[in-house]
Amino acid sequence: MIKIDHVSFVYDQAEFGGRIEDINLTIEDGRVVLLCGESGSGKTTFTRLINGLIPSYYEGELTGEVYIDDLCVSREPLYKTAARVGSVFQNPKSQFYTVLADTEIVFACENLGMPREEILSRFDETVSSMHIEKLLGRNLFRMSGGEKQRIACASVDALRPDILVLDEPSSNLDISGIRDLRRIIALWKQAGKTVIICEHRLSWLKGLADRVIVFDSGRVSEDLPAEAFWLRTPEELHRAGLRAPFALSAIKADPAADSSGSLVFRGFEYKYKKASAESLHIHDLAVPEGSVVAVLGDNGAGKSTFARCLCGLEKKCSGVVTYQGKNYKTKDRIDLCYMVMQDVNHQLFAQSVLEETLLGSALAKGENPEAAASEVLEKLDLLEYKELHPMSLSGGQRQRVAIASAVASGRDVIVYDEPTSGLDYRHMKDVAGYIGRLAGTGRTQFVITHDAELVAECCDYYVFIKDGNVVRSGRWNGEDVDFISAYFADEGKEQACRA
Amino acid sequence: METVLRNTRPGRKQMFLDPRSKLALCLTVFFVTLAGDGMGIMKYVQVVLAVIPIIFFLILGKVWLSVYYTALYAFSMTVPYLLAPHLPPVVNLLFTGIIVVSTQMIPAMSMFCFLVITTSVPEFVAAMDRMHMPRVVTVPVSSMFRFFPTIAEESSAIRDAMRQRKTGSIRQPMEMMEYRFVPLLMSLVSIGNDLSASALTRGLDAPGKRTSVCVLRFRAVDILVLVFCAAAVALLIASQAFGL
Repeated sequence: MIKIDHVSFVYDQAEFGGRIEDINLTIEDGRVVLLCGESGSGKTTFTRLINGLIPSYYEGELTGEVYIDDLCVSREPLYKTAARVGSVFQNPKSQFYTVLADTEIVFACENLGMPREEILSRFDETVSSMHIEKLLGRNLFRMSGGEKQRIACASVDALRPDILVLDEPSSNLDISGIRDLRRIIALWKQAGKTVIICEHRLSWLKGLADRVIVFDSGRVSEDLPAEAFWLRTPEELHRAGLRAPFALSAIKADPAADSSGSLVFRGFEYKYKKASAESLHIHDLAVPEGSVVAVLGDNGAGKSTFARCLCGLEKKCSGVVTYQGKNYKTKDRIDLCYMVMQDVNHQLFAQSVLEETLLGSALAKGENPEAAASEVLEKLDLLEYKELHPMSLSGGQRQRVAIASAVASGRDVIVYDEPTSGLDYRHMKDVAGYIGRLAGTGRTQFVITHDAELVAECCDYYVFIKDGNVVRSGRWNGEDVDFISAYFADEGKEQACRA
Repeated sequence: METVLRNTRPGRKQMFLDPRSKLALCLTVFFVTLAGDGMGIMKYVQVVLAVIPIIFFLILGKVWLSVYYTALYAFSMTVPYLLAPHLPPVVNLLFTGIIVVSTQMIPAMSMFCFLVITTSVPEFVAAMDRMHMPRVVTVPVSSMFRFFPTIAEESSAIRDAMRQRKTGSIRQPMEMMEYRFVPLLMSLVSIGNDLSASALTRGLDAPGKRTSVCVLRFRAVDILVLVFCAAAVALLIASQAFGL
C-alpha cells in the first residue's frame, strides 16, 4: 500500500514541474491508477514522490511523508526504493543507459548486485512474457519510440517491483506503440502489481484503470472510480482541461469544392541504406493548395520520410513537386517548404524572439524588417515576448516561436512534425488555433500526427501512408471519416490485449 | 534464450580480446607513440605499433579503411622527409609540426575509436570494476559511450534546422559555431538530466558490489597482447634511459 501523508512540495528550480500542495491519499495494492490534469497541475510531481526522485534527485521544499508499506520513500536513499518501484518516463530516447537491448534489460538487476544466474533467468522470463524476442540483439539507437519504450518497460520488469510508475509513457508513441504498451500494463495488472500512470491521452486506458485521480493546480480535485469517470462526456472532460477519449465524430465533413490550384507530387522515391521498411514511393498525389493536410499512418510507414523528402532534407530523394506552375526538385524545395520540428529546441538559435524571427527570413531583406516581424509575432501572440531569449520561454511559446520563423521564412508550405505530442487539451487547442489562423493566409500546411483530436480540430484534408505508399487521400467525406475514425478507434480497443 | 548476455567468449565484434587488454593496448600505443622520439630503436617500435590498427581494421572487415590508413601513414612518414631538405626553414617548422602530430596521433586516435566501437557499456563497466576503479570514474566515462551516438543524432537534427534557415554556412564560422553548439549543448544537458533520473530509479547509486553479467577472463591472446604491451613500454624506457 502506498500512503501519501499530507505532502507538499515546491521545486527549487521551477522548470522541473508544478508544485503540489497538501496531498493526502492511499493507494491499495494491485490497482491501476490513472493520474490526469493539465500540464503543470502536479501529476508528474506526484509520480516523483512515489519513485523517490523527490527529494533525492529533484531538490525543493518537502513536507509530509510518503510510505510504501513500511519503507519511507522520502527519507531512504534512492536505490532502496529502486527495488520496489519501477519507473518508465516520457521520452524514449533519454532513458536507456547501455546501447544494446539485452544489456539494457538487465541493467537494473546488475546495479542491485543480484547473482548472475538469477539475472539470466529473470531476463528469460521477462523477454518471453513481454514477447520482445525480436528486439534482442538490436541497437537501441535504431529502434522506434515504441520499441524503445517496450525495452524500458522490460528493464523495469526484470527487477520485479510491486509498484510501477509511468510518467506520460505514450507521448511519443503511435497507435501500435500504444497497443503494445497497453498489453504490457494489462500483464502487470494481471500479476497483481500496482500501476500508476500519469497521462494526457486517456482513451487507451479505458478498461484498464481502476481509479482516476484528477489534479488541478497542485491539488487533487477529484478522486473517483474509473467506471464513473468514463461516463463523462467529451465536453465535461474538456472543461476540466482533459483530453477526450473519442472526439472523432467532430471531424467536419467539408464538401467545399476543390480550390483552383494544387500541389502535385510526382515520382517520389526514397530508399534508406539498410532498412527497406521505411522507404517511400509516391507516384502521383495532388493536394489542394491552402489546405491543412493531416499526414496519417503508423510509425515506420514513411510519414517522417515523406515530410523530410517534401522539405528537401533528404538529398537522395527523387521526385518533383509542382506548385503554381513551377516544378520544384529536391534541392529547390528547401525554398518552398519549412518544417516545424517535433523538438523545437533544435531550431532555436538566436538571442531574442525578434532576432529569431528575422534569422534567415525573407523579411530581413524588406524595407522595415522589424515591423514586418512584429506583425508575424502579433499573429502568434508573441509580441510581448519579442525581447526575451527563446530558451527562457515555456514549451508552448517556443513552439510558436518556431512557427513564427516558419511564417517569416516566406515559404508557402509549412510542415509540422508531431506538434501536439505530450500536450494537454488546452495546449493542443492552442496549436490547432494557430494552424487555423495560418490556413487563412493561403499557405498549405502538412501536419504529421497521431493525435485524433488535433486532426478533428484543424485538418481539412488527409493523406494516409502505409508501407511507403499513399493508400488513401481526400477531403472529409462520409467514407473517409469512417476510415479515419476506424483507424484511430483502434487505439482504445481491447483486442489482442491479452494475447 | 539466445542472447549476447550468455556469450562467455569475446567474438569478432570484440576483436577477440578482453576489454582490459584492449585498454592496455590503447594506452600503450598512445603513450609510446607520443613519448617516443623516433630515434634509435623507437623508430621500429613506433612503426610496429602503427601496424596494430591495420590488423584491427582487417579483423572488423574494413578493408578500405585499412588501405586509407596505411596510405595516410606511409605518406606522412616518407613524403615530408623527402621534401624537407628542399624547403625553406619557416615552412619546415610549420610543416614538421603537423607531420609529427599526424604520424603520432593517427595510430593513437584509431586505437581509441576501436576501444569505443568494439566495447559495450557493460563490458567496459565490468572491466573497470575488476580493476577496482571507483564508481566516480566509471559512471561518467561509461556514459560517454552512449553520448557519442546521441551527439551524432542531435547534431544531424540541428544541421537540418540550420539548412532550413540558410544560416551558419562555413563562410561565417563564428555564427556556425554558435548556432551549432548552443542548441546541441542545451539538448545534451536535458537528455543527461533525464538519463540520470532514469538510471537512478534503476539503482545506479546502489553502494554494494555490482554484478556484471558479461564474463571477463584473460585468454592466451590477451596474455600475448599484454606481453607485447609490456615489451613496447620496456623498450621505450630503455631507449630513453640508455639511448638505444
